[in-house]
Amino acid sequence: MTSSSSPSRKALSKIACNRLQKELAEWQVSPPSGFKYRVSDNLQRWVIEVTGAAGTLYAGETYQLQVDFPEHYPMEAPQVIFLNPAPMHPHIYSNGHICLDILYDSWSPAMTVSSVCISILSMLSSSPAKQRPQDNDRYVRNCRNGRSPKETRWWFHDDKV
Amino acid sequence: MATAADGVAVARQAELRRIEGNSCFNKARLGAAIDCYTEAIALCPDVAVYWLNRGLCHFKRKEWAKVEEDSRRALALDDTLVKGHYLLGCAMLEKEQCALAIKEFNKALDLLKSSNLGDKMAEDIWQVLAKAKYQDWEIHSTKRVWKMQSLKEACENALQEHHFLSGTLVGDGSTNEYTDQLKLLSEVFTKATIDDTPTDVPDYLCCQITFEIFRDPVITPSGITYERSIILEHLCKVGNFDPVTREPLKEHQLVPNLAIKEAVQAYLKNHSWAYKLN
Repeated sequence: MTSSSSPSRKALSKIACNRLQKELAEWQVSPPSGFKYRVSDNLQRWVIEVTGAAGTLYAGETYQLQVDFPEHYPMEAPQVIFLNPAPMHPHIYSNGHICLDILYDSWSPAMTVSSVCISILSMLSSSPAKQRPQDNDRYVRNCRNGRSPKETRWWFHDDKV
Repeated sequence: MATAADGVAVARQAELRRIEGNSCFNKARLGAAIDCYTEAIALCPDVAVYWLNRGLCHFKRKEWAKVEEDSRRALALDDTLVKGHYLLGCAMLEKEQCALAIKEFNKALDLLKSSNLGDKMAEDIWQVLAKAKYQDWEIHSTKRVWKMQSLKEACENALQEHHFLSGTLVGDGSTNEYTDQLKLLSEVFTKATIDDTPTDVPDYLCCQITFEIFRDPVITPSGITYERSIILEHLCKVGNFDPVTREPLKEHQLVPNLAIKEAVQAYLKNHSWAYKLN
């Protein structure tokens, strides 16, 4: 088992900084619907409020996403987790870690915070039941030392939800 | 009387001074390096690279008048020195002589194409060129905006006077020609100054990874255009796929997108504010 701390806090590269400034400017002009950026002066960590879509299990409920950007964003994926309390969902662990391929192996630098948010909301919206992943307790126990979800070897066995 | 052998000895001595200067320069001992190059120059004033190297030391120390002098002397001996034009351009930019700086940087970029100094130098030159273009725009656009503003006021006054004399200054509400014309005049001036108003560069001229305006656009078999340096980094670090379409992609499949490159150049020509770097 890997034991390492939360994401490295190395300062953003120039490319990352430029790109995030532009993403933020674009977000402020047209934010994805259902999301609200919590104003902060820290470009490297965004906290975003997400409200469950009408007609879904999470309608009207509000959760918080924490997005941390690595030095070489967008060549590397951001780390995206739910802050406590995380929504009950078959792919979301109680420690906020999200099992979603685009955040790990399937990341592409053409994706943006905005497109990631839309994917997460669509994942929530298609949930059939409010429940934790089957291996929740084991996984969360293994993460107790503050392991980043990006260090997990994810097993994306179910793409229906 | 000086002999040919003396000449060779002097040249060798000067060369030794240069080597010593280079070693001091690499250790960031700029004062010592300047002394070495000065001695080399005293021995052989006709060698361009001695002036160039001393100019580079002054550049590091931001002693711009000296940078200008040494780079001019170097270029007088050899006009093909990329770094000479780069240094002279930087010195000009410091003096806010933007047009002259742009000329030097363009020369440096042209010469670079037929040299082996590589991408790092091209990037450095591009950065200062963009800075010079932006400064040049700032200076000229301020003047243009001011001129347009006073012309607009003159036109408004003339319009008012015209309607005053013809007794149509105050309309009956439904046929107020004066206010209509005033509005139209304002629209005409807004349109005339639109190119000088910084806004967002159109998406089709920007890379979908960097979000910046293209400099060296390349197109993939999927038809998506990316900035060359960033798509190469992607292929190397992330994987062999097109970031947008996720189709398989290898480096040799990238083709320069000359149409977009020309479109960018045309856009920058009319919208120099887009040279602004973060």
